[in-house]
Amino acid sequence: MRALLLPVSVAALLALGALALFTALQPAVAPTRVEQAARLATELRCPDCAGLSVAQSTTSSAATIRAEINAQLAAGATPDEVRRHFVQRYGEWILLSPTSPIAWLLPIGLLLAACVGLAAWLLRWRSPAPAAAAPVAAAELRRVRDEAEALDA
Amino acid sequence: MLRWLILPLLVIPLSWVLLTGFSVNPNEVPSALIGKPMPSFSLQTLSGETLDSADLAGRPVMVNFWASWCGPCVTEHPLLLDAQRRYGDRLAIVGVIYQDSTDAARAFLDKHGDGGYPDAVDEGSRLALDFGVTGPPETYFIDSSGVVRAKQFGPLDAPALQTKLAMIGVSE
Repeated sequence: MRALLLPVSVAALLALGALALFTALQPAVAPTRVEQAARLATELRCPDCAGLSVAQSTTSSAATIRAEINAQLAAGATPDEVRRHFVQRYGEWILLSPTSPIAWLLPIGLLLAACVGLAAWLLRWRSPAPAAAAPVAAAELRRVRDEAEALDA
Repeated sequence: MLRWLILPLLVIPLSWVLLTGFSVNPNEVPSALIGKPMPSFSLQTLSGETLDSADLAGRPVMVNFWASWCGPCVTEHPLLLDAQRRYGDRLAIVGVIYQDSTDAARAFLDKHGDGGYPDAVDEGSRLALDFGVTGPPETYFIDSSGVVRAKQFGPLDAPALQTKLAMIGVSE
């Protein structure tokens, strides 16, 4: 049973790799207007709801935004232009995902810094620094030397 | 030496983040329109006339989004009536009915008083979307050159009204 484990794991990994490669090499199909509209509706926040997207909400504002998305796409606007149209009126708040890279990088940076800090602390904790030799007073040193010399004599 | 620096380096920014974070209303959405021209519109009013934004040019304007189903709008309403009496022609007040029926809006004005200023019917909340309204009451203050200068999120009170009117050049 155990002998099978390695070949099966390798085969599974190879299959996964092949699948990923196949997906990556698939020619990109341009989304239809309906797909673009549906996607935009999931990205925009419903203005008078608590934390819902325009796609999820049934309020009249959400319905108006969905209609506006459709109308703008039908008039030839790109999804970016539609997004910009709403950002100009509501600010970045209307987008459910922040566009600023800081919003994505800061938590990762903080997590990495915390891991480095923890690793450094654990390493120090596992190997305590050797106790430094206490300084010996000159008089003490002289006394020991004298005693040693006396013993030699 | 480093140990003494770590504490203030952690505590000072954290305190700053907490202090600034707790002093703002998380529900309040800052307006993206501040400093930009007021969206143009042409809407029917409750009395059946057409209200065109071009007709308001050259005067400071206060656009108030309200609804009969909105509790804070009732609290705020006497202040708007008072502003209309007090400032007269020096200030153009425009009410915009937000997601409400005209019958309900008329009943609200019959009950709480009609200031005499136009109340526009916003079919499909199109103007509300152009202003970036998130819910009533919300009030926008536009100066005489047509630029949005301030926004009130939630009901107005007397000091807020005075401060924001002063920002569009309207004072006693």
